[in-house]
Order: sequence, then C-alpha cells, then structure tokens
Amino acid sequence: MNINNIRNFSIIAHIDHGKSTLADRILEYAGNISERDKKDQILDSMDLERERGITIKLNAVQLKYNYNNEEYIFHLIDTPGHVDFSYEVSRSLAACEGAILVVDATQGIEAQTLANVRLALDNNLVIIPVINKIDLPNSDVNSVKRELIDTFGFNDEEILLVSAKTGQGIDKLLEEIIIKIPSPKITDDRLQALIFDSIYDSYKGIILLIRVVNGNIKIGDTIKMMANNSTYEVIELGVYTPISKSKDVLTSGEVGYLCAQIKKIDDIVVGDTITHNKLSAVEPLIGYKKMKPMVFCGLYPIDSKDFEDLREALEKLKLNDSALSYEPETSKALGFGFRCGFLGLLHMDIIEERIEREFNINLIATSPSVIYDVYLTDGSNINVENPTKLPDRQMISRIEEPYIYTNIFVPSDFIGSVMELCQNKRGNYISMDYIDDKRVNIHYEIPLSEIVYDFFDKLKSYTKGYASFDYDIIGYKANDLVKMDILINGESVDALSIIVHKDFAYKRGKIIVENLKEIIPRQLFEVPIQAVIGSKVLARADIKAMRKDVIAKCYGGDITRKRKLLEKQKEGKKRMKTVGSVEIPQEAFLSILSMDERK
Amino acid sequence: MKSVYIHIPFCNDICTYCDFCKMYYNCDLANKYLISLNNEIASNYKGELIETLYIGGGTPSSLSIMQLKKLFTIINIFNLSQLKEFTFECNVDSLDYDKLKLLYDNGVNRLSVGIQTFNNDILKVLNRKHNIYDIYDIYNIARSIGFNNINLDLIYGIQDIEVLNDDLNNLIKLNPEHISCYSLCINPNTKMYIDNKKQINEDLDYKMYSIIKKRLKEYNHYEISNYCKKGYESKHNLVYWNNERYYGFGLSACGYINNYRYDNTKNMNEYNKGNYIKEKYIISNEENIKYEIMLNLRKKYGINKREFYDKHNINIINYNNISNLINENKLIENENNVYISERWKYKMNSILIKII
Repeated sequence: MNINNIRNFSIIAHIDHGKSTLADRILEYAGNISERDKKDQILDSMDLERERGITIKLNAVQLKYNYNNEEYIFHLIDTPGHVDFSYEVSRSLAACEGAILVVDATQGIEAQTLANVRLALDNNLVIIPVINKIDLPNSDVNSVKRELIDTFGFNDEEILLVSAKTGQGIDKLLEEIIIKIPSPKITDDRLQALIFDSIYDSYKGIILLIRVVNGNIKIGDTIKMMANNSTYEVIELGVYTPISKSKDVLTSGEVGYLCAQIKKIDDIVVGDTITHNKLSAVEPLIGYKKMKPMVFCGLYPIDSKDFEDLREALEKLKLNDSALSYEPETSKALGFGFRCGFLGLLHMDIIEERIEREFNINLIATSPSVIYDVYLTDGSNINVENPTKLPDRQMISRIEEPYIYTNIFVPSDFIGSVMELCQNKRGNYISMDYIDDKRVNIHYEIPLSEIVYDFFDKLKSYTKGYASFDYDIIGYKANDLVKMDILINGESVDALSIIVHKDFAYKRGKIIVENLKEIIPRQLFEVPIQAVIGSKVLARADIKAMRKDVIAKCYGGDITRKRKLLEKQKEGKKRMKTVGSVEIPQEAFLSILSMDERK
Repeated sequence: MKSVYIHIPFCNDICTYCDFCKMYYNCDLANKYLISLNNEIASNYKGELIETLYIGGGTPSSLSIMQLKKLFTIINIFNLSQLKEFTFECNVDSLDYDKLKLLYDNGVNRLSVGIQTFNNDILKVLNRKHNIYDIYDIYNIARSIGFNNINLDLIYGIQDIEVLNDDLNNLIKLNPEHISCYSLCINPNTKMYIDNKKQINEDLDYKMYSIIKKRLKEYNHYEISNYCKKGYESKHNLVYWNNERYYGFGLSACGYINNYRYDNTKNMNEYNKGNYIKEKYIISNEENIKYEIMLNLRKKYGINKREFYDKHNINIINYNNISNLINENKLIENENNVYISERWKYKMNSILIKII
C-alpha cells in the first residue's frame, strides 16, 4: 500500500451537529463495496455477530476512494462515545492527521466546537471546516461562516457547505480530504503502533484498535506493550470496512484491529505503543496526554456481595476509558467500595449508569469531591479527594481548591441569568466575548467543586436549554473551606461529609438536613439529623417515629396480594443501607448533591 | 374445608375509594353472571360440609329480588346442614324491607352493612348515595325482621376528628354486634387516586386509630381492624386469619384449597367462558408457615403455640426472630399464645418482615 495515498481523519462536532449522519454519508460515497456485495457481507457479519455474540464497534473504518484515477485509502476514526468527552476525542485525534470540523448551520459554534478545535490544534491536525445542515430552512450559513472566520481565523473560501442529509457538497469534501489532509509520515523503521481504543470480546479476548505509525505488523509477530513490557503473539489483524476484514499485515499509516489472545486487562493501556519484541522501538509514541481525574466519588455496591463484581465492572470499563481511576476504600457507613476518579461529572454519571445497566449492580454513589490541596501547619502538603480524609482543623494552615475557566455560549438574553448562577457558585467574572450580535461567550472563574453539584442542570434551566458549556482547569486557589459532617441519630455518616466554603456552610447544611428528612423514611424511633462543623451544629431536622406500618384490610381476596406486598417491603429494606440502626435509602446519598430544597 | 366466599361484582354506584373488582349493575349481565357462577360452583365444589358462607362484593344487595332468589337456589348446591354463619354484604341504598326479609328467610344470619360514615358531606365525597337517616331506617328494619348479628363498616382517615367522634357516637348508639374500621387507603385505579387525593399523614391516622380503640372499649378488638361484642367474632373471617382453607367462587374471588391458593379472573368474558382461575400459587410447607404467621398475628391473641406445633411440628418460639422479638417486648408470650404487643400492633409490618 502506498502510504502517500492514505488519509487518516476524524469528524469533530458539538453534540447533535450531525457528526453521525456525515459519517454515514462519507461511508456511502466512499464505500468500496458494491450494493450487492454490501448486502451479502453485512448479512454475513450479522451471522458472525449472532454466532459469537459480539457487536462489532464501528471505531475505525477503512474506505477506498478513487480520485483522478488513483485509489486512496481513508481511515475514518470515530470519536467514540459522547462528544462531550474531550479526552476521548483527543485519543482518536492522536491517530489522525486531519479532522473535519462540523458546525450546524442552524446553531453556529457551541462550547464543544471550541474545545474540539483546540484539541485538534494541540494534535497538529489539519482542520477542514464544514457547515452542515445547509438544506434546513432556518439555516443561517452567512452568520455561521462569520463565526468560524472570527473565532478560528478560517478563510471564507476554505469553509465547505454540506448537507449530510441530502448529500450536497460531499464530493467536494472528499476531494478536500485528499488535497488538504497530509498523508502519514514515516519517522522510523521499527514498529510503533498507537493503541487508541480497545474492545473486550469473550472469544477473542481484548481487541485493540491501533494506528500503525512506523514499521509493519504481521500475524505471528511477537509484540510488546511498551508501558509494561508484556509480550503477545499476534493472532489476527484486520480492518473494518465497516465489516471486519482480516489481513496478514498492517503497514505504516494504516488503522485497524489486532487480536493477540489478550486476557489480562491490566496489560492494556489505551494510549500505549506497541512495538516488536525483538527489534524494539527506542521510544514510545507521544500518544496523548494522560488525563488526570478531577472529580472523585465513592462507589459502593448496595449489596455487599457485589463488591467483586463491581471491581470487575470497573476493570472492564477502564479498558477503553483510561481516564477512569479506582481504588478500594472502606466507609464506616457503606462498607467496602471504591474511590473512583473521573474527568468530570458527565463522565461520572455515565460510568455509574453503565455499571448499573450493563453490569446490573445497584450502586450507592457518595457525593462527588474534587482534589483539595491541603497545607498543614507542619509545612507539609497533602492531596485530599475524600472529605472524610481531611485532617483536623487545627492541623491545617490552608486549603486550596481547583478552579475552572468557563466558556458558556448563550444567547445574549440570558446573560443576566448566567451571571446570577455563576455568582451563586462563588464565581469571579472575567470577561465576555460577543460571538455575533446575538450570542456571547461568558468567562468566569469558578471553583470546580461548585460545578460538581448541580451546575449543568441549573445552567440548562436558567437558559431554557440554550447554553452550551465547557471548561478548563486553571489551577488552585486558597479559600476558607471547612468540612461539614452529617450526623444521623448522633452518628456521623462518613459518606455524607462534604467540604464547603465557610460562608455557604449554613445554607448548605440546612438544605441537606431538610432533604434528608424528606428522603429517609420514618424509623421505629425518632431520628435527629444534624449538619455539624467540628462540634458546632449548623442545622437540625428530626424524622418523627413511625406510627403506622400495617396492612389494614386482609380478607380472603387480599391474602396472596398482601403477602406479596410484605415481600416487596422486605426487598425494599434490603436496598437500604443500615447506618447505626437507621435505614437509609440509596437516594439519600445523592440528595446531598442538590442545592435546592425538595418540593 | 368449611368455608365459601362468593363474589358479586355489581354495584349501583362506584365508590371513589374502592379498588375491589366491581362494575355497574346491569340486569342482563347479572343474570348471565349468575349462570356462570352456578357452573363454577357445580364443577368445582366437592361436597364438603360448609360452616361459614360469605357473600361479598361489589354490592351483593344490588341484585334484584329475582336474582337474589336465583342466588339462593345456587347456594343450595352446598351441603349446609352444619352452616353456622351466613354473611351477606350490603349497602344502605340498595336495601329495603323486601330484600332484607328475603335474605333473612333464606338463612342469612349476619349482615355486613357498609355505612362508612354518618356525615352527609363525606358520604358525598365517597359517592355513597345514602344519608344518616337511611342508615337508621335500614338498621331498624333489619332489627325488626330479626337480624341479631350485624356488622357496620366505618372508614376513617377521611373525616376530621370531630366528625370521627360523631361517627363513633352514632355507631355506639346503634349498638351493632360487630364493627370493622378501616383507614382510608388511596389505591391506584380509584377515583380518589386519579383525582390526586392525598392520604392523611400517619400521625393523624394513628391518632384516629387510637380514638376508635378507646371509644369502642366495650368491644373486643380481636383483629387489627375489627371489633366485636363477646362471641360475635366473624367466624368466616377467622378462617382467613387462622390460615384455614376456603373456596372462593365468582369473578376475582380467591380461595385456598389443598396445597394451593388461587385467584379467579377479573375478566367477565373469560369468566363467562369458564376460564375461572387466573393464577395458582402452590403453597409449600415453608410458605404456609409464613402465611400462617402473617395472618395469625393480625389477631389479638396471635399464634396459638400448641396448634402451631401440632400443625407444623415447630415450636414457634424457635422460629426465626420470634424469641428476639419477645425479648424486645414487641411480641408477647403467655401460656398459650404469642401475639403482637399493643404498642406495636399498628406497626406490625415492620415486625412481620423480621419474621417471614
């Protein structure tokens, strides 16, 4: 294969700007399979899927495209998962030379557009700007063009107009891919292949998605993972077209998959470099920036029997999500669980949801925390990511917390609401850029810990869903922070402790105890709930003792039904955590997130 | 096997809180239903001696005189030579002298009348069509005919405490042999639920329960929701609470025969086609014990230790958490029985789930 005729690229876009439709359209236009073959092969592949029970993930598709009587190979590398995950985008971009930037003609630039462009530039990619959905009656091509020019400095001529839906402008786009995106460059003759994703398959083991940068890789080669020197023999190689098509060799510049009977999840680090065991490369590829988790929370199985299953679930998720971190921890209230680190709140939500849905484990998540930089009176300094680990106040000289810098894209009508929200979140106003006469990008510096709570939801409701939001971590600042504990029936529940700003502690404490009062069902005795700092009680609410817990009517017809009711009640109890002698439902641990009183 | 329940699903009006199986009375529908009922009984009844018979609903008294007569001929399939208690459920507005006389003449010896409250405003909220005067009239007619075992149903948790006290005054004045008091429970598929009516809070509910208990001190509070004068316990309902077997016939009726409990269909078409049983639950020995504890503990004196041992070959004291609960004074043990202490009676679910 002629490396000069290879083009590797991704599509980047803000959510719902038409990334998937455009990818489909490119597949259709540059598909190298005839209609008939396509059908047959797809059917085959479905049989295969059925037989093996696997789903082939469309992560990197190889396409052939004829241009000026020459055959070109395209590798379209999907930016996997949610586009909001800049780190996931970034690792796909590391395998590319170019990126198609898609902007919706009816929406214009959004916060994620900005973030994606920045990532593409960080990776030295050539960017092809595309305005999509130009067929829509409410499209406003000129002003979106203006935004692209003003914000990123593109030239008017280089911005392509496309309708992924109708196919308008796709040929021109494919031509631009060939002309503008450079072919891969070989810098060494020894094998260096970047692992940019991995999939677990119960038959084949771990399937690696790789971009061969230098050298060739063949079936039977003994390869080495450069991060930990583990070695494997290559069993299968191939590309997705999008149907998986096995090959004997993958050469420089190519993107495909590799199977080597890899069973040990720990051996695989997405972002690692593969080389030959014998003629090893000297250095690993730069890969991509290892993302540091910024938000932490404890994840505990409701049923302690699920602890090992939870470990396994986290292992599997980490396989293609290197940003996820976890280590075992114990909570007095919740038993054995894991302290997990995430890149942000959305990441956290998605991991929690996947564990509950895909692995069928009922979880309790403790309130999320950021990493605090704590300076002690003895001059030392520690990182605290779990509020319960915060040392005694007497030992602390100061606490610093991470701050973010916001990009909040919003119609100018909502400037006031956004500012009010940011102000409530302890934000410092920095500046405001006008994107055009109707839209602004508002910059604040806000403590990350404030974003961790309900910022996204609030922003959505404050702006009727019009705002898009993105942020960068900008460093640490000292603040007057204290640990607030929650006592239930006089006993401190470690999983409910939070670190708050002193000036906001009273209000938060009051809301939390009131919410807990609503959520925790009445017990057989009266239960006080208190929010305390040290020994000082900031707020208190009492849950009255239960008065009634009876099936009033129990006649002939009712009996099996009443028995079921009782069984259900028993099951419900099992889903609660008993702390001291108080039964606390799962939602209580999440309620601490809410800054509002429950209605 | 000594008991039979028969369900009559028809009503002239639908109460806003009712989640039993019921439908509007229609003469043709009721005629057809009685034929099906006859068929069901004829094909499933095995000829046992029946000691208690209970006709419930719906509103059995919504049937016409002709239909009631038909119903009594159906009932004659049973061997009733040892019949001790024959209860007929009725509501005030569907009763008159003729119907009551017919019931009496056909062996009904216990009337259960759903009065719910004596307050005309609240009766309207419940969509009951009678008023306080009708209650007194019907009650006096029943007495004059000779009914000497009458149960009145009272609902609480819908009126305020003042009205509840009025209701209790009236009840005590009427002096029935048996009173059932149920706290209003707003179930899905009821008009109240759809209208988004809220249940009263449990503190007030408990307060009302306590008031009732105190005011009815002349009565024996022999089951959570039931009070009676000495010797007037409902024999039929005790069959349920003693975990004994019984037939259930009719739409949505439930029964417990041999080693299974069953629920009849609630679908009239299916029922008329002869597909009576919707679901069967095989009751294992273990499950039977759980049912027995759940049901027995509803009664004032709970579980009879000797009977429990004779039946299951298990000393109840050694069963699960029972001895712990006795130590915690949640359960009381005396010479013959194990029962829930008065303080915990209204919270008995929390005790039951520790046992079963």
